Amino acid sequence: MNNLFQYVPGNSLIHRLNPITKIFLTIIICAAAFITDRLLFLVGLLAVDMLIGIIAGVADRTWNIFRGLLKIAVFLFLLQVLLTRKGTPVFWIITDQGLLTAGKVVLRLVVVCMPLALVLAVTRISDLTNALVQVLHVPYPYAFTLSTAIRFIPQFLEEMAEIMEAQTARGVAFDKAKGLKKLSMMLPLCAPLLISSVRRTDQTAAAAEVRGFHLRTRTSGYKRYPFSYVDLGTVVFCLLLLAGAIVL
Amino acid sequence: MIEMKHVSFAYKDHQPSVRDLSFRLEKGEFAAILGANGAGKTTTVRLLDGLLKPTSGQVLIDDADAATSQVSERARKVGFLFQNPDRQICRNSVREEILFGLRTVCGGEGEEALQARTEEVLKEFSFTGEEEPFSLSRGQRQLVALASILAVEPEILILDEPTTGLDYRECCHIMNRIRRMNEEKQVTVIMVCHDMEVVLDYAHRALIMAGGQLLADGPVPGIFRDAELLEKASVLPPQMIGLGMRLGDGFENACTPEAMAEAVMARRKKRSVPHE
Repeated sequence: MNNLFQYVPGNSLIHRLNPITKIFLTIIICAAAFITDRLLFLVGLLAVDMLIGIIAGVADRTWNIFRGLLKIAVFLFLLQVLLTRKGTPVFWIITDQGLLTAGKVVLRLVVVCMPLALVLAVTRISDLTNALVQVLHVPYPYAFTLSTAIRFIPQFLEEMAEIMEAQTARGVAFDKAKGLKKLSMMLPLCAPLLISSVRRTDQTAAAAEVRGFHLRTRTSGYKRYPFSYVDLGTVVFCLLLLAGAIVL
Repeated sequence: MIEMKHVSFAYKDHQPSVRDLSFRLEKGEFAAILGANGAGKTTTVRLLDGLLKPTSGQVLIDDADAATSQVSERARKVGFLFQNPDRQICRNSVREEILFGLRTVCGGEGEEALQARTEEVLKEFSFTGEEEPFSLSRGQRQLVALASILAVEPEILILDEPTTGLDYRECCHIMNRIRRMNEEKQVTVIMVCHDMEVVLDYAHRALIMAGGQLLADGPVPGIFRDAELLEKASVLPPQMIGLGMRLGDGFENACTPEAMAEAVMARRKKRSVPHE
């Protein structure tokens, strides 16, 4: 789980795309998923997600993200199926409408989450920050905050695992409990996690200060992020995807 | 008693961190695992506590295979002090922190007994009980973590670099507590430590590791006098032993400043005899 948000080095077509194009592609896939009401179109969007992962050479990561989302998807699917009363009953309290709605909800969840995770797998956080500042003129402190938040996700997960391990060694039965019981046992651990997070944030802020954080401007980055024909092609593809979601 | 029998372990998609490790610690022993970074020391102690499962081989605690029980079930018998106390502390006061460990492990003994034991431990460690653990210094937080582990009176105590980041006074404070537990209650102690002076002062036995393998296992001063072994394990001996080894000629056995002073005095005395 920890490495799901980490960058995978590579030189694929997707890797070489401008970070802004990648963000644009992600936003368009998300928008298309919410605009369309057709199950088949959502399946198509899922295929696009998978294809992006394969072209980027991160098929393993794509599959792992998909598998991770599947657990939440199954829970959501069951919830939707059991709570939707509209439509013709198919079996017990399950209706055809319930199945269709559940399928759409679950597909939307997977389609929306996958490109968000994939963009982090194929883009260096520093490139993402610099491109946001240079191309979109986002103020550096905001871009830095965003990139730091993303960078901290795997660290928090790792820290949580370490805290749980330490508590297990003290006798807290994390190694035996499952599901909701395990979740309730995790609540007291929020205190050490929160405190270490605040400490880490403080240290990062201090480190950034001493390295001249406030001196940084939009032109400080030496790397440039020009748009290429591949970026243009991707934008055209995005627009077609959006149009398809609206029309179909 | 804690024993490792031909234990090997590899993290997923990595080379083995520990290879064919075998040793046995009897009740009341105080051992230190030494070696350079990446030698497999922390992996070894995590295997001992069951936080990691061996790829092959067995870890035995009192002759019972550790794989047959859960880590949390063994918390009463095996205490683990982590390098970072902030991973262990999860309550808002020192009293609550000590009680948390006791309630988790010794819940069946009744609240009154646990409260009494908490007060005893607080007194022993000179805490009022009302202190907020996260507002204390690093050394004090390590002491809180140690207190909450020792409160449950484990038979085996595993320490993963317990003195890292502590000043000399805090280091002595913590190590003296551990020594007292070892001597008075026959608690078996096994610690990973990079401070050779601490190892020389407190441990009786040293296990030297390199590349995931056990290179040597023996009494502390003897291990520190084996220059070839230390070179192989990238470990420097404590200063006094290093000095004694350099001087040679009878000074090798002096491993404390007092012993060195005595050896020097004896030599001076010996030299002054012909002049008299």
